[in-house]
Amino acid sequence: MREISPQRRGASGFPSPADDYLEAPLDLHRHLVPHPASTFFMQVEGNDQAQAGFHDGDLLVVDRSLTAQPGHWVIAIIEGTLCLQRLEGTGRHQWLCPADPRRPRLPLEADRDCRLWGVVSHVVHDFRHPIRET
Amino acid sequence: MFALVDCNNFYVACERLFAPHLEGLPVGVMSNNDGCVVARSEECKALGIPMGIPTHKIAPNLRRQITLCSSNYALYGDLSARVQVVLGALVPGLDPYSIDECFLDLRGMPGDLEALGRELVMSVAREVGLPVSVGIAPTRTLAKLANRHAKRQPIQPQVCVWHGAKAPELEALLRTLPLAGIWGIGERLQARLAGQGIVTAIALRDAPQDWLQQRFSVVVARTSQELRGTSCLPSQELDTPRRSILCSRSFGKPLGDLRQIRAALRHRCQRAGEKLRRNDLQATALGVFLRTSPFRDTPQGPSSAWGELPFASADTLLLNRLAQALVTRVWQPGMAYHKLGVMLGDLSPRRHSQPSLFDGSDSSRQERLMATWDSIRQRFGHEALTLGVQAAHAEWQMQSQRRSPRYTTRWQELPRVVSR
Repeated sequence: MREISPQRRGASGFPSPADDYLEAPLDLHRHLVPHPASTFFMQVEGNDQAQAGFHDGDLLVVDRSLTAQPGHWVIAIIEGTLCLQRLEGTGRHQWLCPADPRRPRLPLEADRDCRLWGVVSHVVHDFRHPIRET
Repeated sequence: MFALVDCNNFYVACERLFAPHLEGLPVGVMSNNDGCVVARSEECKALGIPMGIPTHKIAPNLRRQITLCSSNYALYGDLSARVQVVLGALVPGLDPYSIDECFLDLRGMPGDLEALGRELVMSVAREVGLPVSVGIAPTRTLAKLANRHAKRQPIQPQVCVWHGAKAPELEALLRTLPLAGIWGIGERLQARLAGQGIVTAIALRDAPQDWLQQRFSVVVARTSQELRGTSCLPSQELDTPRRSILCSRSFGKPLGDLRQIRAALRHRCQRAGEKLRRNDLQATALGVFLRTSPFRDTPQGPSSAWGELPFASADTLLLNRLAQALVTRVWQPGMAYHKLGVMLGDLSPRRHSQPSLFDGSDSSRQERLMATWDSIRQRFGHEALTLGVQAAHAEWQMQSQRRSPRYTTRWQELPRVVSR
């Protein structure tokens, strides 16, 4: 339901009783993007994280205003590149986990070469498009 | 009290947000058909690249060290609007001033102003990812100086608060500050003031008000008062004609109808064009903002939109065409708007005009048209000749060979992330 704007209220300033019965269509954008100023869309490149549900070409909803928690998927800057990673650990001991378990975890903020950009809140996958093989 | 929030090296910061590998490297942004450098990173400034340098005049050995980007107003405008939303959520009285600056009216804001300043900086850094600096002072003119002072501090966050006009730092700054460092004092006025023995900011502050008003203008007298700590200049009077021009006014009563807003917009564009030509300048970027009353509606979308002219121009018709196309991006039905503004950016002196070979326009004809326009309005009054209704659709194309993707406004150009 959209907020009732002041002009649409009655002269008394109270909402009209009829407003209770007015239903607005569900707005998916507002549902997925509660913080428009801090939300950015990005696109997944490659199928390295396909097991976790991220496929090549998928749309990511990234919200910078969220606080990253352990287990969250995040966008991190690693050596100057925007990367999709899973966060582990808390406080001063946080790591980014790569897709390949043979590769080492990277400690976060140890230096400027590895830090958080934003938190992935949703992934949008288009089932009509065949997923590119890696 | 007022705050001036300024995005540091805004265009470069926007480029780096989605291209983090550019951090720490010398980066320049070009405008006007890639003809000159209009924004520089600190590293680029350190190499001695001056503001506004024609691109072809950069020495080849320096050129190899610098990453040069074409300007990307779709990106800058979108991020500018996001910054305003974040600031507006913390302070109700927000007045955009240019693509990378806005004033906040802090009158009646309770609490610790230093803490508020820090919160503004941290919120924009976290939510949008851009660095800003904040100057807070009793008047807008002083807030601008406080902001400049904040930027020169090595400490983070860059916040400077002057609680009164007698702050010792301020006194020391005004003693040495040349007049051109103050808002509203252009080169011509600076020379005239110097002729009367007024060379530094402190001399202007301490000059007799009546004398300033008689000898110069009301605005000069008010600027002097602002330096003393009495707020008397609205933001639209605080032009820095070398950098940006703002034509904004509140409506007599709140407006919601797009046709009426378009009519008001034509009026603002006429004023903006005249201001440009009076200062012998031309613009490359144009922004439109619509503001609702901060205590009533909160629109969901951005309150401002920016676009790029096909070539640097002072042509009212061209400004109006772009402005009318942009206003549909910010206008939303059902809102009661109370202020409309046109902002011009990336100004350059008019004589260095570089009309595009491919735009199909005859620039000398346009210039004669505008000269005739100005003289008719001067002679017969501003109502004698005004802009009529125009088609708002136009394709805006311009040479920009090294433009970064429009990361936030095109589905095909989203930032790509890899896993590793």
